[in-house]
Amino acid sequence: MFDGLKDKLSSFRSSVEETADKKAEAAAEKESAAAESAQDPARDEPDSAETAVDPSSGAAAATTTEDTDESAAAASSEEDTTETDEDDGPSAFKRAAAFATGKIIIEEEDLEDPLWELEMALLGSDVEMSVTESILETIREKMIGETRKQVDTTGELVERALHDALLDVIQVGQFDFDERIAAADKPVTIIFTGVNGVGKTTSIAKLSEYLADRGYSVVLANGDTYRAGANEQIQKHAENLDRKLISHEQGGDPAAVLYDGVKYAESNDIDVVLGDTAGRLHTSDDLMAQLEKIGRVVDPDMTLFVDEAVAGQDAVQRAKKFNEAAAIDGAILTKADADSSGGAAISIAYVTGKPILFLGVGQGYDDLERFDPELLVDRLLGETE
Amino acid sequence: MVLDDLGSSLRGTLDDLRGKSRIDEEDINEVVKQIQRSLLQADVDVGLVMNLSENIKQRALEEEPAAGTTARDQVLKVVYEEMVDLVGDSTELPLEPQTIMLAGLQGSGKTTTAAKMAWWFSKKGLRPAVIQTDTFRPGAYDQAKQMCERAEVDFYGDPDGSDPVQIARDGLEATADADVHIVDTAGRHALEDDLIDEIEQIEDAVSPDISLLVLDAAIGQGAKQQAREFEASIGIGGVIITKLDGTAKGGGALTAVNETDSSIAFLGTGETVQDIERFEPNGFISRLLGMGDLKQLSERVERAMAETQAEDEDWDPESIMEGSFTLKDMQKQMEAMNKMGPLDQVMDMIPGLGGGIMDQLPDNAMDVTQDRMRRFEVIMDSMTDDELEEPQSIGAAQIERIARGSGTDEETVRELLSQHKMMDRTLSQFSGMGDGDMQRMMKKLQKGGGGGGGLGGMGPFGD
Repeated sequence: MFDGLKDKLSSFRSSVEETADKKAEAAAEKESAAAESAQDPARDEPDSAETAVDPSSGAAAATTTEDTDESAAAASSEEDTTETDEDDGPSAFKRAAAFATGKIIIEEEDLEDPLWELEMALLGSDVEMSVTESILETIREKMIGETRKQVDTTGELVERALHDALLDVIQVGQFDFDERIAAADKPVTIIFTGVNGVGKTTSIAKLSEYLADRGYSVVLANGDTYRAGANEQIQKHAENLDRKLISHEQGGDPAAVLYDGVKYAESNDIDVVLGDTAGRLHTSDDLMAQLEKIGRVVDPDMTLFVDEAVAGQDAVQRAKKFNEAAAIDGAILTKADADSSGGAAISIAYVTGKPILFLGVGQGYDDLERFDPELLVDRLLGETE
Repeated sequence: MVLDDLGSSLRGTLDDLRGKSRIDEEDINEVVKQIQRSLLQADVDVGLVMNLSENIKQRALEEEPAAGTTARDQVLKVVYEEMVDLVGDSTELPLEPQTIMLAGLQGSGKTTTAAKMAWWFSKKGLRPAVIQTDTFRPGAYDQAKQMCERAEVDFYGDPDGSDPVQIARDGLEATADADVHIVDTAGRHALEDDLIDEIEQIEDAVSPDISLLVLDAAIGQGAKQQAREFEASIGIGGVIITKLDGTAKGGGALTAVNETDSSIAFLGTGETVQDIERFEPNGFISRLLGMGDLKQLSERVERAMAETQAEDEDWDPESIMEGSFTLKDMQKQMEAMNKMGPLDQVMDMIPGLGGGIMDQLPDNAMDVTQDRMRRFEVIMDSMTDDELEEPQSIGAAQIERIARGSGTDEETVRELLSQHKMMDRTLSQFSGMGDGDMQRMMKKLQKGGGGGGGLGGMGPFGD
């Protein structure tokens, strides 16, 4: 997962670099031409001449803006361009100053094409439209008008902007799941919600194993009293893992099953109750109302929203609706091994303001990974292995 | 429904073109951008979106509109044709003995779909059987068995078996009496080589006439790769989109259709075995583009009117147009409306009403309207024939009696009566009008106080 996005991000970085380099080259040429003609009109003249004389700073880190000649011209001679340039982008003064000190300024038009490509790349990685827009906005803010210092490469600048923009949307309300469990009064009740077929029951089985590995006793409660085969499915998991399962007949009241689960845990000194619920589409009002009821009756310590990593733009919609019906504390993304982009993770965290806690990465009971946003961003932006 | 938003945003953009006789590149770029956004938001593959929009742009600029067509209609035509081209026809499924294999990711809804399809075939007079080969997921056998009981179709599975290929082979033998064999398989994704090997073996064993890929409407850009891999291993003859009753747009299915060079076979729209529909491309695209699905609408109207009339020979809808509109007519009209199906679906098929106006109505407008219609029906059931024929004769005492009899209140009864009066007035204005006046009428109705008010004149569903 995330490899696809990673490649695309690195291509964004190199295309900005390329644009900036071209610009720098053009500027350098222009500049040496200007220096040769050596007319010395502007206030920055001494500096500018110096830059031109020093070939290393001129060629390597380069200078000024654009392959069009406006800024070089502004710096070297024609004072009147100063006024006309002031309306758009950095002022000619700023440019002149940047030129003089060997920096280049990144302007909107330099980024237009790479940003469009990035937008398509993000959308192509299932990052939701509004989230994509927010990422682009951050990058624009961080980069446009930013002067690139001689010591920075354009790559570094882009990387910093991408890093901040991504972290902005992914890192929301992170908390340490293990610590939260350790600190909470026992039994801890965790309810799982989500649409049909995303992998709630499988995730519960996996998480029960995760918790057992950390020394907690776990009871499962099957609140899915609706779907055909639901009892048999979780029963089988409970047998395989040797866990106690509380379940009622199909068609029973889910809130009652979960309540019984909590009661059982209390009287048997069990640490954690994992409560399953029936998959439901967020458009089904009565089922969503049922979720609210479960929330009221059971009053869980934690509600985890389960969705699949392969979900597209709609992931955001349903995450929002589930969060509204029964406020979630975090999310688990399943089927991450089937997906190479991972945009859903980014989007869900951003719109709910709740962190992604785990990734489901396979069909085995131990195929559950902790999700760490900083690690992810580093991985996304790191060197391609 | 799939791609709803494309409909409304596209209509908005296209409306800007209204009245222009020539469109320049800038106009087209705007339309194309809108199409791109909508398609991307519907999870259609980025590459596919770019191709599609490039084609639309090129054709819209190059092709000369036919004489008398406006620029807007020309663009609409191009968009329509390109979309139809992409979506293709509904997958051909002959009503004859055959074997169908289902494949797809975990949780996409294969097992539910298998039972639904079996139900669908059984309604077409064939004898279907579902063969469950998922030996991996706990509860799969029980789920399939229960679903097949609900669908009242034959079922084969082996809860203790561990070899899906063997089960598939045994299943075909055990259900040899059935006409249509639907082979359900375990969920798998295209990157799991051993599971892909397995499904290839199952395919060898059952040699299906067609393999269908089951896709969750919410699937994102990953649809492309999944579809490609499944196509390469077992060959995909059609796509089924499930969970369309949510808000997902199902664009991933378009990607899959494109990738596998196949078409859409069925749509899954709910949790019960009856919630399955055959895919209808033309109506689907027309509705999508806000052109209305007149063909289906007129069929529904005719069928509903005929049914209603057949039940009550005394009632003649023609008399309405002659200026006598009684409560009985209103009652029949409402009955006919009900027979046409859910109101919002019907409204969506009316050109000019679908999309544009629907978008402006609050989300629950249709529910409210339908509730109201139901209440009116109950009230009319509590009236005598005389009262129905001559509503003006209904006095205060009768209103009280009717309200008590129908378990409603007097206010609602009065509402019904005034609604009828309004419709009667409206209709008498229109009666005797020629066809040419219809447009003027539509305009008047649309202007008459926006959504609710406008609809009020059209039937017993104003608010």
